[in-house]
Amino acid sequence: MVKICPMSIIRYSCRFAGLNYRKVNRALVRSICLWNGCHRDENNRGGELNVNTVREKLSHMVMKRGSKKMSKRFTPYMLILPAVLGMLFVHFIPMLWGFIISFMDLNIYTVMDWIKAPFIGLSNYVEGFSSVTTLGQRFFRSIFNVAYYSAFTITLGYFIGLGAALLLNKKFVGRTLVRGLILLPYITPDSVAYNLWRFIFQARIGILNKVLLDVGLISDQVIWLVGNKTIYAVIVASVWKGWPFTALILLAGLQSIDPELYQAAKIDGANAWQRFKYITLPHLRPVTRTLIVLNILWNFNAYNQFAVMLGTDPGKYAEVPSTLIMRQAFHHLEYGIGAALSIVLMLIMLLITIGYFYYFRIRAERKGE
Amino acid sequence: MMKRKHVKIIQQVLFYLAVLLLVAVVLVPYLWMFSSSFKSTLEIQGMEPRWIPHNFTIENYRLVNEIVPIFDYFKNSLIISFGTMIGTIILATFAAYAISRFRFRGRNFYTVTLFSTQMLPGILFLIPYFVMFIWVQRTFGLQMRNTYHGMIFTYISFSLPFAILMLRNYLDSIPQEIDEQAMIDGCSRVRALFRIILPLAKPGIAAVGIYSFIMAWNEILFATILTGTQTKTVALGLLQYIGAQQSRWGSMMAACILTTIPILILFTTMQKHIVEGLVSGATKG
Repeated sequence: MVKICPMSIIRYSCRFAGLNYRKVNRALVRSICLWNGCHRDENNRGGELNVNTVREKLSHMVMKRGSKKMSKRFTPYMLILPAVLGMLFVHFIPMLWGFIISFMDLNIYTVMDWIKAPFIGLSNYVEGFSSVTTLGQRFFRSIFNVAYYSAFTITLGYFIGLGAALLLNKKFVGRTLVRGLILLPYITPDSVAYNLWRFIFQARIGILNKVLLDVGLISDQVIWLVGNKTIYAVIVASVWKGWPFTALILLAGLQSIDPELYQAAKIDGANAWQRFKYITLPHLRPVTRTLIVLNILWNFNAYNQFAVMLGTDPGKYAEVPSTLIMRQAFHHLEYGIGAALSIVLMLIMLLITIGYFYYFRIRAERKGE
Repeated sequence: MMKRKHVKIIQQVLFYLAVLLLVAVVLVPYLWMFSSSFKSTLEIQGMEPRWIPHNFTIENYRLVNEIVPIFDYFKNSLIISFGTMIGTIILATFAAYAISRFRFRGRNFYTVTLFSTQMLPGILFLIPYFVMFIWVQRTFGLQMRNTYHGMIFTYISFSLPFAILMLRNYLDSIPQEIDEQAMIDGCSRVRALFRIILPLAKPGIAAVGIYSFIMAWNEILFATILTGTQTKTVALGLLQYIGAQQSRWGSMMAACILTTIPILILFTTMQKHIVEGLVSGATKG
């Protein structure tokens, strides 16, 4: 560490700026003295500050701090700086920028020089979020669709995950192997998994219709990927891809429960259902809450499954906000409206999350009383 | 006595059936993928779907690069994913070390920010990010779209929040006395970090690296917009097997298997640590 006395820094910068060093120094010292609660020299009757002593003290103090303590205090900031910068440029600046863009008429003609794009106030929001325009209607429909899809996916995924976690919490031969195996859908790349399901759901050449026909559940080939059944196809694929994560987290929750609790309950004569209801469920509650919030957020943002299985235009029955925004921005090349819609989407999600936490806090408070 | 024994046996059988069902639900789609990758296009299109191929053929694997230049996409994905992995490891290690070992002003705020960025929708960033890329290119002449560095930068920043939190948890599990001891013995802090903490944290760092690799390998949304013909990743390339003129499901399934294999190998080697990271990320959040 090179030790530079701050005073010499001040001297050099004064010379550089063409200022009177002595005047600057005196003003500086005075202000620092005031800051530190005024060291007045008793010998100095006029109440003048004894510049020399203070300067000495000050330079001593700053020297000590400057070389060792200051650098130590800055170390953590230096360490997180690169990560902060990266996130600044990818998360925070674009977020602000998106907010600005959402008030602009930014389209294919103006995108090359975005600063010159005309400000049009709220009209992007009005067009995207009204029940009169076609776009507004599609957006409302897409929000309904995504809510419907999320409700199904989360509920199904949760119960399958819970069942699997309960099964895998018991000891049996090959448990480690099965635990590893069930993670397969989770780690399979989205693109691979949803392309595979797209193949399975093909009407004529897919295996699903064949199996259902053989079993006798349907009498005709069902067209899954066009029309009003599309959303169910996506739900099935998403549940298959998503439940292992739920199972994994719930399993971790189950393992943190003290086994003595179950033994004690058994001795007291509680049956299996009672043990589940009064021990397992309450202990899983916090994990469940986090899981559901995470799942709501992920499913409301779902893009991959819809885009891979149904293409960039999934049709009226399976349109979700993400696909709508993507099309609006990058096919119709209206970036301003796209940005406005994505901000509305974020606000809706924020409301849901806050409402969810609020609801549980109120319930918890009521229970606590 | 006998009756109770019977009940127990039935319970056991039911239990194993349930486990079997679970495994079947997971594996059956893969079975279909695997068997279809050995079928000819004629068989897939012309005959009734069957679990076992009529005529076993490896044509799909031989011709996997024929219609779609999937090997080029593999190369792109490898470059981008490795770049992301290395960048994430370096930045996440520094940041996680800072959060784990220093008490500084803004530390809690920073941690909360890390958590909250994970909650925001990707689509929210995509449009302004795209406009930003265009702006950077026009003002600084630095091309960002359709380049490796643009994608690597994007993905590093994406994987950072989770990577930092995961690595922080790992570093927290290494007792602080170890680096204090090293510093008393005359190590500087930097030396203590590189000589003592990093070797101890190797598994955690590997898990973080693999996590970011998988993230970059699988990402679709940003890759759709920000990559072009020269940087298209394999996740997008898979979609090209099905076109308006022809549908090569067999080749696509073969390509799907090839795409999954690297991820599978990486995940299995580091399964324990990644799973731990996932669990603590969800439960401690």
